[in-house]
Amino acid sequence: MTTPTGTPSISTPPVPHGVGNVSLSSVAPSRSKELRDGGSSASGTFGVKSGLAQMLKGGVIMDVVSPEQARIAEEAGACAVMALERVPADIRAEGGVARMSDPALIKQIIDAVTIPVMAKVRIGHFVEAQILQAVGVDYIDESEVLTPADEEHHINKHAFKVPFVCGARNLGEALRRISEGAAFIRTKGEAGTGNVVEAVRHTRAVQTAIRQSSVMNEEELYVFAKEIGAPYHLLKETSRLKRLPVVNFAAGGIATPADAALMMQLGCDGVFVGSGIFKSGDPAKRAKAIVQAVTHYNNPKVLAEISGDLGEAMVGLNIEPDMKGGRMANRGW
Amino acid sequence: MANASPTRNAVVGILALQGAFAEHQAMLQRSPIKRKVTVVQVRTAEDLAKCDALIIPGGESTTMAILARSLGLLEPLKEFIRTKVVWGTCAGAILLSQSVENAKKGGQELLGGISVKIARNGWGSQVESFEAALEVEGLRDSSTPFTGVFIRAPVILGLNPAPSDPPIEVIARLSPQCLPRSHDQPERQVTDSSDPRTIVALRQGRHLLTTFHPELTDDNRFHEYFVQHCVLPSLQSA
Repeated sequence: MTTPTGTPSISTPPVPHGVGNVSLSSVAPSRSKELRDGGSSASGTFGVKSGLAQMLKGGVIMDVVSPEQARIAEEAGACAVMALERVPADIRAEGGVARMSDPALIKQIIDAVTIPVMAKVRIGHFVEAQILQAVGVDYIDESEVLTPADEEHHINKHAFKVPFVCGARNLGEALRRISEGAAFIRTKGEAGTGNVVEAVRHTRAVQTAIRQSSVMNEEELYVFAKEIGAPYHLLKETSRLKRLPVVNFAAGGIATPADAALMMQLGCDGVFVGSGIFKSGDPAKRAKAIVQAVTHYNNPKVLAEISGDLGEAMVGLNIEPDMKGGRMANRGW
Repeated sequence: MANASPTRNAVVGILALQGAFAEHQAMLQRSPIKRKVTVVQVRTAEDLAKCDALIIPGGESTTMAILARSLGLLEPLKEFIRTKVVWGTCAGAILLSQSVENAKKGGQELLGGISVKIARNGWGSQVESFEAALEVEGLRDSSTPFTGVFIRAPVILGLNPAPSDPPIEVIARLSPQCLPRSHDQPERQVTDSSDPRTIVALRQGRHLLTTFHPELTDDNRFHEYFVQHCVLPSLQSA
């Protein structure tokens, strides 16, 4: 498993085991390291990176900008928080260059809660990532919500011990990110809009391509890999599993319990909620309702009960070419 | 095997509020145990009532406790633990513990059932998560190590069985050199192989507790152990 030179391998990561959530025929091989001599151990493996994402499944990851908001999220049942200086809706409204948050703020949020804490870096900004790894965040989001630092290259995520989540609009983009070392994928959606349409579009695009690939033979898969710009062996693994080879969450525009349940029924493993909670009338109540909606996504009776009386939802934006803050989903390549 | 062949399948529930429940289900539905068990995802008290045994999976213990409370599932779960077989992995191990360190502010609810004190997230943040080879007593083919996947894992701080409690049986330990280095507090580094913090799997009475994730490997010997040694015997004695 280790390369002769001792440098971290940048070949395709092994596929996590048991990433399936319904179809149990889709059990992948183990991605655990071969530790066959007693007394050996290894940290920062792809197994523990994708493993943490598997522990977040069926949960809600909430954007927070202060320790107080982080506590509200934890009390509502969030399975992790994303520490930020500004939620995407404010980044949109205020404009300017959006960067990694102040490490001091991130530390305060880490100290305030016991659940995993994530934070965002700009696309391609590997030094921001080195800083966040040193701060001790549990997951890094290489995010299109911040202003990109590199318009060609994403971070080589294999070089880090801390795991990464990345956004994707389609299957090719998702598999390119996994090949760079992402252990967790989310849809891009359109952050800060409270409009779920783009997240639905991206999930549908990924699922359609997976279904197409699942009936292709080898020759067709080679061509399809070229067409969508995906590494062949990851595409082949996806076609065998009939799902992405890592955990896949919905993100970008989710604002209500119904939105969250919609994304779950479309096949996502969990949801990120950004501006949708703390830009609403009653954040604590809405947060709790969205957490319950993700657990009971298949039970309309429960959804009806928890969707009532939540106060004002965040103001939504229509997705237009000249919308304020632009189309964030188009960042990343 | 001949000594444990009840006439019906054992119904094993997996608490499916949040976390890696599908992974446990996939493991139970593989040979050689798939013909002995029927798996149910548990989200309500009605689901729980169908079960002979329960697995509480990994995930976030605070999330699961909050969801269980809002569903009115805490009392049924406690009652289940008093009478039936339960296995907790990672977050599930925390919920089965008697007391917890590093609880969220204001405390968090536990189900109890196993007389241990446990620290949540005891080795540090995610960069300290690790995999290690384990030797486990009683596992099939036990000379082949079992890969323990430890993700923000809890750490057992002490065993505190009351005289009336069933005895605790340790079934796997990590050797001290496998444990993450304690950079900030070298005095907290575990060096003694009998330190409770080296314990990663144990049994007490009907219950099983592991601080690692057997469901994240491709090796279902631990699930087989649970069915063979915990679940099926409880059906026979019932």
